[in-house]
Amino acid sequence: MFINKTVTNKYKTNELAIFLTLPLRKETITKNALLPKVLSRGTKNLKDQVEISKKLENMYGTNLNCGIDKAGDYCILKFYIQCIGNKYVLNNENLAQDGIDLLLDIVFNPLVENDKFDDKIVEQEKENLLQIIQSKKDNKEKYAFNRCIEEMFKNEPYGLYKFGTEEDLANINSKDLYEYYKEMLKQCRIDIFVYGMDAENIQVPKELESLGNIDIVNDNQQSSTNNSNSNGEPQLVRESADVTQGKLIIGLNVPNNDKFAATMYNIVLGGGANSKLFQNVREKQGLAYSAGSMYVRRKDAIFIRTGIELQNFEKTLEVIKEQLEAIRNGNITEDEINAGRELIIASLRMIQESQEDIISFNFDQELFGEKLKINEYIEKLQKVTKDDIIETAKNVKINTIYYLEN
Amino acid sequence: MELIENKQIDEKIYIETLENGMKVIIIPKENTNKKYIVWGTKFGSIDNHFIDPESGEEIKVPDGVAHYLEHKMFEQENGVDSLYKLQALGLDANAYTTNDHTAYLFTGTENFYEGLDELMDYVQHPYFTDENVEKERGIIGQEIQRYDDEPVWSLYINSMKCLYKNNPITIDPAGTIETISHITKETLYSCYNTFYHPTNMTMCIAGDFKSEEIIEEIKKRLLKHDKEGEIKRFYPPYEEDINEKYKEKKMNVNMPIFMIGYRDFMKDMNKVKKDLAVKIIFNSIIGKCSKTYKSLYDEGLIMSELDCDFEFSDQYSHALFSGESKEPKKVYDIIINALQNEKITTEDFERSKKRIYGEIVTQYEDVEEVGRMFLSDSIRGINSLEYINEINKITLDEIKDIQNKMFKLDKSILSVVD
Repeated sequence: MFINKTVTNKYKTNELAIFLTLPLRKETITKNALLPKVLSRGTKNLKDQVEISKKLENMYGTNLNCGIDKAGDYCILKFYIQCIGNKYVLNNENLAQDGIDLLLDIVFNPLVENDKFDDKIVEQEKENLLQIIQSKKDNKEKYAFNRCIEEMFKNEPYGLYKFGTEEDLANINSKDLYEYYKEMLKQCRIDIFVYGMDAENIQVPKELESLGNIDIVNDNQQSSTNNSNSNGEPQLVRESADVTQGKLIIGLNVPNNDKFAATMYNIVLGGGANSKLFQNVREKQGLAYSAGSMYVRRKDAIFIRTGIELQNFEKTLEVIKEQLEAIRNGNITEDEINAGRELIIASLRMIQESQEDIISFNFDQELFGEKLKINEYIEKLQKVTKDDIIETAKNVKINTIYYLEN
Repeated sequence: MELIENKQIDEKIYIETLENGMKVIIIPKENTNKKYIVWGTKFGSIDNHFIDPESGEEIKVPDGVAHYLEHKMFEQENGVDSLYKLQALGLDANAYTTNDHTAYLFTGTENFYEGLDELMDYVQHPYFTDENVEKERGIIGQEIQRYDDEPVWSLYINSMKCLYKNNPITIDPAGTIETISHITKETLYSCYNTFYHPTNMTMCIAGDFKSEEIIEEIKKRLLKHDKEGEIKRFYPPYEEDINEKYKEKKMNVNMPIFMIGYRDFMKDMNKVKKDLAVKIIFNSIIGKCSKTYKSLYDEGLIMSELDCDFEFSDQYSHALFSGESKEPKKVYDIIINALQNEKITTEDFERSKKRIYGEIVTQYEDVEEVGRMFLSDSIRGINSLEYINEINKITLDEIKDIQNKMFKLDKSILSVVD
């Protein structure tokens, strides 16, 4: 495993994380989503949820979080613990070491009987995951965003919903899942991050260290397919739901040759209050309360997100297209560029002020082989010129227009 | 300047009340680059009826005015929007309106004093015209509709409507499309002049600052004001009982969400003690280690620990427990029974105290969280460090007493969105 330790006295807590990285695939995504839920229910040492919860509360309310994420065409199983620093404990406990031991116990020492996970636990967690999958539509903003990704990347790994599908879930049993777990541990890359005042002396048992020393080569890093129809128009997907506000999401393909220029392009387009989208969609036209965009760097995509009055679909779309055109034509001021640059650089500096954020940043940099530090990243952004942004803009294409209406 | 120190968690704060009546709280954090400032006024959505101390005039304002005013503060006479200016300085700027206060803030690692110039300039210079007030109506209308699509928000407002009949906490802080249609520039100026006086305001600053220096920087940027007399505020009379036991709203969610609420009728008890007691009772009886939680989970009635909140001001006080369930009514019956009848053991008590102690320590990690906590506590007359003192002092007998008084079957409500 790849072990990263950072000692700092900036925080009152230590943050510990284990990431298991696998290729993103339709066949395994549902199992991957289920695994962290099952693993965090019991270990050979702490046999049920009550024992785990009591342990955590006695560790001064230590937080245990498990989950699943997509990063490019990778699927990542995440396990986090945040515990208060050893100088604040009341009975001389070594909480940081207890924390890493607990995390390792959960990931590598699951509760297994007769060569399978506990049936009851697997059934309960299947039911819980089913509820999550079925509740996809409850938050309309998130739903619209996920649907746009799904449409833009259909038939590709990135289009998969990270919690998997109902059909695949129905076919999982405790024996298969345990078999898959053992197989998965042989094939995944394992990263451990330890961040905080007590990071220095944290020990990982030798026998575990040899696991997961794999650099996963993902040869199928795909960008989204061309979804335009025969007239060259982008695909338009309209869907109805019980909403009082329309949710308009637009997926753009962005060139992949200069990711720093693309970052700057995105910030000028829809990052913050000085951006084209905020200024024109919200401030000048009053069409929306929220109007902005986000750049998915690992998939060379930008998503524009707005919430609008139901009758304003055409008008908003037109205003958005005008903004894309404006940047393409070089219609951007130095003020807009500088304000955007300040904003993105400030948010990069802010990453260093949060343990969870800096861990995510460093992990992403490691995983995709960029290996940049925050300062180096900032330097690259400082070099992006107006011409670089226009060059990017010329190659930006609308891929998918998704509208959730009443 | 007053210094309050807590050696156990290694924190100290400075409090200064300036000549004009404004309170400044400084939380020094030497090891962080991130700086946070929040400037709040004790003016929230519940303050809709008052006497202007200068004119002596009694004023009633439409629902949503505090929030509307917050939106309009950013616009300056020279056409510049201060939010853009702060963002262009690389500062993450924002504002928010709650039931009992409105606050303006920013955070960042660089350009703090340039940001302070801008913040203190725009909050002290309102500029409202008929046109700019009109333009905002559409944007706020969209914000209100966005909340209308949020199941969690409807759940909360309905809980308030169950707990109280006429209390202004039942009002949506943003108002409704109808109420905001009555807001004019005159309404905004009259509220501004009453509530945005330094005497009614508190500023909290967290980061690597020297207390004496930062106080001087703030004083330099403050406009001259005499101390203001107390603002007389009118609220509906105290309600002796809950209003309605149950409310349900259909929003076609896959998994129903529910909120269980209890009014707190213990008017004279220390609020910090009550807050900690509610958390200890929650954790012991329905928290993840409890047998009630285990049986709810095993029966598939809940999927994760409920959220626990104790909300209070001088006008309201209640405990809220919320979560998701296929069968909210069944969960409600089990929980209210447990809260009334289960006994808290010494082991539960000690374990819960450890959890809460750890959570308090963790809150001091991030300057934003610390700053916001000190502001909202200060608005309610509390110094946040009291929590750490109180968790060391509180006894199991006190907890049992609060449990008996507060968690009565007939004083509970249930709100459901399904």
